Amino acid sequence: MPALAVKQQIIAAITSILVVLLTGCASAPSWPTQPASDQALDITKGHVLSDVPFFPQERYQCGPAALAMMLNTQGRDAKVESLVHKVYLPGREGTLQVELVAAARSYNLLVYPLKTQLSDVLTEVAAGNPVLVMQNLGFDWWPQWHFAVVIGFDPALDVVILHTDTRRANQQPLRAFMNTWQRADQWAVVMLPPDHLPATAEPVPFLTAANDLEVTGRLSAADAAYRTAASAWPAQPAAWLGRGNIAYQQERWQDAVEHYQQTVSRFPSMASGWNNLAYALSETSCQSAANKAMDCAARLDDERFDDNLKANDGVHRPADQCPELHCPVD
Amino acid sequence: MKKMRSYLRQVSIVMAILMTMTTLWSSSAVAGVVGTGEVLTEQRADLDRESLINMLEKQEVKEVLVSMGVDQAQVEDRIQSLTPGELASFKQQLAEAPAGEGVVGVIVLFLLVFIITDMLCATNVFPFINCIR
Repeated sequence: MPALAVKQQIIAAITSILVVLLTGCASAPSWPTQPASDQALDITKGHVLSDVPFFPQERYQCGPAALAMMLNTQGRDAKVESLVHKVYLPGREGTLQVELVAAARSYNLLVYPLKTQLSDVLTEVAAGNPVLVMQNLGFDWWPQWHFAVVIGFDPALDVVILHTDTRRANQQPLRAFMNTWQRADQWAVVMLPPDHLPATAEPVPFLTAANDLEVTGRLSAADAAYRTAASAWPAQPAAWLGRGNIAYQQERWQDAVEHYQQTVSRFPSMASGWNNLAYALSETSCQSAANKAMDCAARLDDERFDDNLKANDGVHRPADQCPELHCPVD
Repeated sequence: MKKMRSYLRQVSIVMAILMTMTTLWSSSAVAGVVGTGEVLTEQRADLDRESLINMLEKQEVKEVLVSMGVDQAQVEDRIQSLTPGELASFKQQLAEAPAGEGVVGVIVLFLLVFIITDMLCATNVFPFINCIR
């Protein structure tokens, strides 16, 4: 009898310690009512993306499973087993965020990192985009890292709906979701085709993600992303210059000239635009126009560019076949 | 540390925008086409040195991946889609960054603790426990 009493006391003590420790988490999180962008999306009522395929995870392998759901949603035929070879680290018995991002890029998807707030996740889901999230299911001092895919939510039921571990469309109370997501620094990304603008997209992070495609050699995906950015935010010089740079890397010289001309006509004081135009013009045998563009770049920024373009030894096209340039400084 | 890093990243993005808007580049002369990334991020002074470091990084990262049980044939593929920036921090991440795995091997000692915290919606370790709202 006394042994049992001692046991009960211990349990009571543990429980009361826990209650004290957990009072910090006790306040119920609230549902945002304003979507993260000015789109006409309603996040006050529930949404479920029922067409997101579900793949149950094997032991330790939530990363490949979650990635497979994200890729197959966008029509990329990727099996969990093949993704294990791309993202799973046997030595860590897990998957790193950066490898999920890199693997999605290798499928020509643009990986857009969301702002660390619930309204952004809900806005993307409301717009039809599943969201890959990281969670820490345990505590900071004993972490249980986990990847899952948010496919829906319902403020009326107070739940976030996820494809997670071996559970399809698991309904997690908002409080449980927020506690576990916040402990993983609210990491959340969408993975979309580059011609598809995320609902919460902002120029600099989107263009940075597009540039990540460019530097990893996904040139046509990057080109599509720059095109998307140029039509969404025409005032962003990087979108226009980027298209020119891709044409240049693909040795489509005439296209490069046209894109750079667009760039300098929209942003006449952008020295790097004039510089790049000079190089593209030189490749199209328009040497005098190229010299003029280089001269303009040097006038705009004489510390960075000098007025010294390597002459193209090949044929020189007649001037009437080359563009006429108007430098903003004389 | 991770918070600090994400904070620094935000600061650097803001700095990049500011630089783009105000100075429009001031550094030593370069020959060649200006990359899109330079328009987006702070201009990096010595790209040559960076690409050299990059090569070394790649070799080291490959070795670490192999030591972690990644198939030799897959190693090249896996680092190919990393940007230079990601590659630079990759080695450290291999050792330290959280690796999502799902729940495994809960120590018996913690069983009771996590059952209770799961019921309080603070954690979500056991799939079979639904928390009480």
